[in-house]
Amino acid sequence: MMQKKVCMLGGFAVGKTSLVRRFVTNVFSEHYQTTIGVTVEKKTVTVDHQDVMLMLWDLYGEDEFQHVRESYLRGSSGYILVIDGTRKATLDTARLLQQTVVRTVGPLPFVAIINKSDLRSEWEIDQPVIEQLREQGWPVFFGSAKLGQGVDELFAHLAAMLLSPAPPSRICP
Amino acid sequence: MTDQSHLPDPSLSDHVLAALDIVVLEWEEEAGEFRLQGAPPEWWGQRFGPAIRCSQDPSQCSPFLQDYLTGIHRVWQGGPGTIEKSGPWTESDQQGGTMTLEARALSLGLRKLVLIERLGSDFENMRSIVQRARERMLAEDLTAKSHHKAETRLIGRLEASERTKDDALALLQQLGLAAMVLDEHGQIAFATDRTLEMLGIAAQEAIGQPWDQVLSFRKEDRRLVQHLLEGSSQTRSGGPLCLEGACSRWIELEIHRDLRHPVRRILILSDRTELHALRQALNEQASFHDLVGKSAAMLRVYQLVRDVAQVDTTVLIEGETGTGKELIARAIHSSSGRRNKPFLAANCAGLTDSILTSQLFGHKRGAFTGAIQDQQGLFEAAEGGTLFLDEIGDIPPQVQTALLRVLQEKEITRLGEAKPRTVNVRVVAATHHNLSEDVLRGSFRADLLYRIRIARVQLPPLRDRPEDIPLLAQSMLEKICAPTGKTVERLHPDTLRVLMSYSWPGNVRELKSAVEFAVISCKGNEICPADLPPEITGATMASSPSVFIPLSNQDEKTRLLTALSDANGNRTEAAKRLGISRATFYRRLVEFDIHAH
Repeated sequence: MMQKKVCMLGGFAVGKTSLVRRFVTNVFSEHYQTTIGVTVEKKTVTVDHQDVMLMLWDLYGEDEFQHVRESYLRGSSGYILVIDGTRKATLDTARLLQQTVVRTVGPLPFVAIINKSDLRSEWEIDQPVIEQLREQGWPVFFGSAKLGQGVDELFAHLAAMLLSPAPPSRICP
Repeated sequence: MTDQSHLPDPSLSDHVLAALDIVVLEWEEEAGEFRLQGAPPEWWGQRFGPAIRCSQDPSQCSPFLQDYLTGIHRVWQGGPGTIEKSGPWTESDQQGGTMTLEARALSLGLRKLVLIERLGSDFENMRSIVQRARERMLAEDLTAKSHHKAETRLIGRLEASERTKDDALALLQQLGLAAMVLDEHGQIAFATDRTLEMLGIAAQEAIGQPWDQVLSFRKEDRRLVQHLLEGSSQTRSGGPLCLEGACSRWIELEIHRDLRHPVRRILILSDRTELHALRQALNEQASFHDLVGKSAAMLRVYQLVRDVAQVDTTVLIEGETGTGKELIARAIHSSSGRRNKPFLAANCAGLTDSILTSQLFGHKRGAFTGAIQDQQGLFEAAEGGTLFLDEIGDIPPQVQTALLRVLQEKEITRLGEAKPRTVNVRVVAATHHNLSEDVLRGSFRADLLYRIRIARVQLPPLRDRPEDIPLLAQSMLEKICAPTGKTVERLHPDTLRVLMSYSWPGNVRELKSAVEFAVISCKGNEICPADLPPEITGATMASSPSVFIPLSNQDEKTRLLTALSDANGNRTEAAKRLGISRATFYRRLVEFDIHAH
């Protein structure tokens, strides 16, 4: 079976681990447990009748204490940028991480998810900013690991991108 | 002999590795696989089982490790001494728990090794620190966000408040309201443009200044304002108060307690300068010396008095009893150049020849029984001033002759003396008689009449000027109440209606008496009709006065002609219509040169 390494990238406490757990085990915990290093989870998805095993590298959150190790990124087929809608600063972190990936392993397919749509009223990221991201070629999803909204669609979309015969040039600007 | 201590000791290596709690994998080039060196720690078995060849099925071992080992050859190519850590990763053990591992690749000579250790308490401590730091950052972020929200909300409120304030201020300025706010220290915190315009100062000259330095009130007014400011009621007012300056202003002041800050005061200033000037002008018109009244007839009297005062001729004041003839005489004196000299009044009615002669001209000791010493008369006493002879129509004929001489010669002769004395006295006479009729009857000397009637002032009866009654009554009320301490403030409109519909045969004197009666009867602060004397409340308007005092003007002539016309030339009927006697009517016709035919 085809395997694809997918890195979960984003600032700390944006919900990377929660998205992976919701996707892999359909579990959510309110308790925040910071990730140190990396945890690898696996889940098989089917794209156009083709099974593909996603190796989900749940990396620690990027912040002043920890910066992503470039070695973790090597061998990735794609990545997911996770943004906390309630913290605008996490969008800036996502932008930096995206540039790090491009610089380290070159352009790769990726999707961005603005998590915590269950707290939409508290979002600091407004529609014009989202439109700007989309204009820059970012496939932007909205979702909530807590409610399970948009999670499967997120991974399915990335899997489809990974299996796409010709990676669109606009995926990785 | 060989030194055994320097020989490799496989069991020692195993012990060391076991003591370090690490796993050592060595790459075997020929086999193309990793081989586990020594006895692995217990945790390795819990995660990966007893297998020792990891490279055979790396995905079964650990995806992370597989990924790491795949790229490990790049490190070894870096030469001896090169070490690369994998970074920590978390693996699940077979008991459902997790363990965090970290690998490092290194080469020792030709041997290529991977050391894997399980991160222990130090790592957990580090994780705990990071966890706490991040939780704190999240909490601070939430706090900052909460503060930001509060700040945004407050800024919004502030902006709304500012807008409201601006709107209110614009409205206030548009209304042209003169208002100011005093702070708790009595200093001006705010003043509208109209206020500044009224005071004729710039904002910087007012703001922050004590109110009493900006509002230049007179001393007594300043005390009043201070009293009002210290009052506890919600709203107080005072005025008119005079703001002194290059251009004095009269203002009315309203003081409100600021509901937001009870110690602050809101002052509203109303410019009443124009009103005050008008009121003053009206007051001046409404009174003349001690005379009260603003009717057209009284205004004519005031003017006549002013005119008469300018000359030094003898004056005859005609008017019904109680109309204030002596007040007119005093007004003439006070308005004349003799104002600083004596004003003496003598009532000529009911006195005998000798008494009146003595009183007017004085006497010499022994001139008559009881004349025990020389005595100067009123003419001498009034030297340089004015002598008011009231009821001159009642003086006996002999005195009339003596008086005529005084007026002609300016000399008097004391009773019992032969030598005349020169006097400089202005005579103002008054009568309620019709002296012309007296002359016709022979009771008054015509030459004396002509001598004293050089100037005439005819006082209208009160019934002819009812519009003055409220003013007179209020003025009397204040004068009557002042010494008594009674607080009767006003007359009820119904009372005024009754007073104005009464004929007042006793004129102003009777009115005063009625008001005094009412003040005594009054139980409240307002005189009601019931408080008035019964003859006034029960009386109807008198149809005619007993004595006709004509107003010497064109209106009077017109009045006579109209009455004649209405009566079809019948003089008796015309006199009746005018409410005067037939004789008076005839006399008036002669005076106005009216021919009845």
